[in-house]
Formats: sequence, structure tokens, C-alpha cells
Amino acid sequence: MDLGLVIYALNLAAIYALMAIGISILWSSVGIINMAHGATFAISGYAAWLATGAAKPLIEATFDSGLWTTVATASTLVGAALIAGAICGAIIYLLAFLPIHDKPNFPVRALIITLGLNIMTVQGLLWTFGPRNQGLPKVFGFGRWEIWGAKIRYDQAGTIIGAAIIMALTLAWLRYSRRGLEIRAMMQNGEGAAYSGISRQVTALPVLMLTGALAGMAAALLSQTIFFSPTAGVVPLLMGLTIALLGGLGSVPGAMIGAVLIGFLEAIVGAIPFLGQRYVMFATFAFIIAVLIVRPRGIGGLLDDTRE
Amino acid sequence: MPELLEIRQLSAGYGPLRVLHEIDLTVKAGERIGLVGLNGHGKTTLIRAITHMTGWQQGSVQLDGAEIGGARSLGAGRRTPGLVRRGIGVAPQGDAIFPGLSVRKHLECGAHTRAAWRERKTRIDRIFDIFPPLRELEHALVGKLSGGERRMVSIGRMLMTEARLYLVDEPSLGLAPKISQRVMEALWSLPVEGAMIIAEQNVALLTGRADRIVGMHAGRMRGDVGHVELG
Repeated sequence: MDLGLVIYALNLAAIYALMAIGISILWSSVGIINMAHGATFAISGYAAWLATGAAKPLIEATFDSGLWTTVATASTLVGAALIAGAICGAIIYLLAFLPIHDKPNFPVRALIITLGLNIMTVQGLLWTFGPRNQGLPKVFGFGRWEIWGAKIRYDQAGTIIGAAIIMALTLAWLRYSRRGLEIRAMMQNGEGAAYSGISRQVTALPVLMLTGALAGMAAALLSQTIFFSPTAGVVPLLMGLTIALLGGLGSVPGAMIGAVLIGFLEAIVGAIPFLGQRYVMFATFAFIIAVLIVRPRGIGGLLDDTRE
Repeated sequence: MPELLEIRQLSAGYGPLRVLHEIDLTVKAGERIGLVGLNGHGKTTLIRAITHMTGWQQGSVQLDGAEIGGARSLGAGRRTPGLVRRGIGVAPQGDAIFPGLSVRKHLECGAHTRAAWRERKTRIDRIFDIFPPLRELEHALVGKLSGGERRMVSIGRMLMTEARLYLVDEPSLGLAPKISQRVMEALWSLPVEGAMIIAEQNVALLTGRADRIVGMHAGRMRGDVGHVELG
């Protein structure tokens, strides 16, 4: 396998993992299958586009050198996407969690509300910005490195590294902070968490904001490779959901492994001459269905060696 | 001066099922109460109703004179964390452990008040003194522990923060007699100031140690049962 293919696969895996981890954490701790995750993704992309557009004159006036301009643009882009994602999470908390979290069939209601939010957002974005593709500033530049004969584009490398950093920070926060401990406790046993004084109402807000920010980060990174349109969130949402399922809902390592597997599968299927890009989705879903038939608990079930 | 816990006319259940029928129970500060009764007669539901974990409930529950009961048909578990923070410690049936967290992390979860969190190290040490087998398992995942060790973790988590009322549901359930005896021994010898209600099927584990034993039958209180009768 040549290195370019590996980099392409990891690039896809990075975006998918950011989406899938958010969906997985949210489902197992708060109990929402967040169909509005794609809306969060799209809004974050547009927020980053607006913010970088608005800040451009200011940045150009302040900095002379190219490097500092790039750094300032990159921070604006990522910051705007992260903040917009977190705000979207807070809005989902207000609309799809708080009013209904103690009603019967909460997961189904939340699913329907977030699906509605997703559709409304896509239509709202179409209404406001039109269907035109928007190009965000390419903060990693357009160059490429040559390593062992393979060409690695800057945006691919930047995406992989950026996603790895943000995921490492998220996992460290979950592992070492008190709030992270509460979230992990809630993910593993809601009743035990309640008896430990951990309130779902209170903890749901940071979880939604965190997962929203992860979707925002995915949007910021993917905007370096593709153009942005109101429907840009659909495929990441779909892949995020299915990979979260593949990984076993609630398993963060499972979601990561799932994302890497699907990333490689997509890259390889796309590179096989007689299959090609047309069959990528087909192969992906066939693989996920096959795994779930053999292991209904997903990859997480394999990693989980605790007693029932 | 109000009693620590006063339950008046408490009914509770799940959906169309009524498990508790107009329960009355008073618990004085510092009392150790044994709650006995057969399987399915409402011991667990009573403990769950005090902490709002049943499907619905009605009737008065007063903790130190403050009403924490009332009529409720939805929102199971919604008020539970608040009640825990007001001083009700619970070791539920089935232990409600977090399988992927270590013993130490479990105990840290139990230290939910600010004061308890600040001194969590010394408090964890104290739990290890109460349940010595846990000391070596400090970093083991609780999902891999045996039933007895899990029970100790669950009770240890309850003890990390001082509560005014401890509710322990079936501490001997599913344990080998020797281990259940050791768990009960630890419970009786706890230097806690709060009152404790221990639901238990095995009356022999309670007699002579509980201040009072109350019986439950078909969702109703059978009144106080003296030690002599049971002996």
C-alpha cells in the first residue's frame, strides 16, 4: 500500500472519528441520538467562513509577515468553529434535552426533535446563504511534502494532526478532570451516577457543548479539503452515526478504531480500479452491517473484557 | 424537633403496578433499622421511593422536617442526585457499579460534596481500612471484580460522603455466606453518625445488631417485629 493512500485514509478517519466520538459519548451519557450533529457541523463551517471573512481585513492590517497572518487566520477559523459548535450544543440542550428529559420515551422524542432541528438548519442555511459552495481560507497552504516518493498535501497532514490533538485533549479531559469522571460514570451506569450525586440535567450541558465543539472542529478541518455548502453536514452525520454504531455506542476507543477501519476501507475501495468512488458507500455499509451481524455490540464489545 | 425521616401514607409503583400501599415509617437519628420481608414485597421499592427512583409515587416523605416526597408520576431519578446531596447515601441492589472505572475512581465518584472531594485521599484510605481487600485492588477495573468485592465498592462509594441517612439494599444478596457475613460485620461496626436502613431477607444477619427490625409484607408495613418473635 502506498503512503499516499494511508494518508488519505487517516485524513478521512480523523474527520469521522471527531463526529463518531461525539455521537457515541452523547448517546451513552445523556441518551440522545443527536441527528442535529450534522447541523452543528454545517453551522460551525459557516460560522468559520463568516468569522474569517470578517477578520480578514483586520488580520491583514495588523500583521505583515505571512506566517503570522496564517496563524491568526487559523486561530480565527478553528476558534469560530469550536465556539459555534459549542453554542449549537447548548441550543440542542435547551430545545431537545431540557423540556423533555424526564418524559416517557425521551430517546425517541429527542431523536425526532434533533432530526427536525437538522432539517430546519439545512433549510435555514439554504435560505440565508444559498446553495453556492463557499471556500474557506486554506490555512495550511497548498503545498505538499514528498516523503518516500509519496505526496502529502499540507491540508491532509494538518487535518490528521489537528484531529489527533483535539481528540487527545478531549480524552485527557475525560480521564483526569472531575467533570470528565462524572461524564464517564454517567456513561457507564446512570443509576450509579445518580446515587453518586451526579445530575444528568447539569452534566448534559457540558457534554452537549463538548460534542458540539468536536463537530465544529471536524467542520474546521474538513473545510480545508472541501468546499462548504448547507448540506455539507449530511455525509459526516451519516458516517459519524454508523461508525458510532460500528464502534459500539458508548465506546470511545471503539469509535476511534471504527473510524480508522472505515477510513481505510473507503480509501482502498476508492483506489481499486474496477470499484472506484461509486462503490465506497456501498462497501462501507456492507462492512458495517456485516460487523454488526457478527458482533451486535460493535467493536467496543471486543475491547470490553469486564464481566456482565 | 422533627424526626430524621418520617414517611406518611407513601404509595409507589411502576406504571399500572402499585407496589407500596400507604407506608408509614419513622426513623430516628442514629438508628439502625433492619427491613425484612420476602422477595417482591416492596423492600427495594421503599428504598427507591425515598430517593425518587420509582416510576411514580405519592405521599409524604420528610427528611429532617423538609418534604422530599409528594405526588409524582414522571421523572424517575430526576431528583435523586439532589437528594443524595442533601444527605441520603445509597448502596443500591445490584450495586450500580461503573464497570470501566477503577476502584479508586468509584470511591472518588462517591465524594460528591466539596469537602469530601478535597479530602478524598484520606477518605479513600478510610474505606480501605473498612474493607481491606480493596486496598490491593485500588487500580483494578470494578467490572472485573467478584460479587463480594463489587458490593464492598458499592458500599464504600456510599460511605465516601457523610450522609444523615444510609439506605443499604440487600447487602448479602448473591454473596457466599462467609463474605456476606463479613460485609454485614463491616456495616454494623461502621462509625457513622447517620441512621441506616438495611433491607435484608436473611433475618439472622440482622438479629441482635439492628436497633429495630420492621417487616414488610405485600407492600405494607407489618409493624415492628421484635427480636424475640423472629428468634
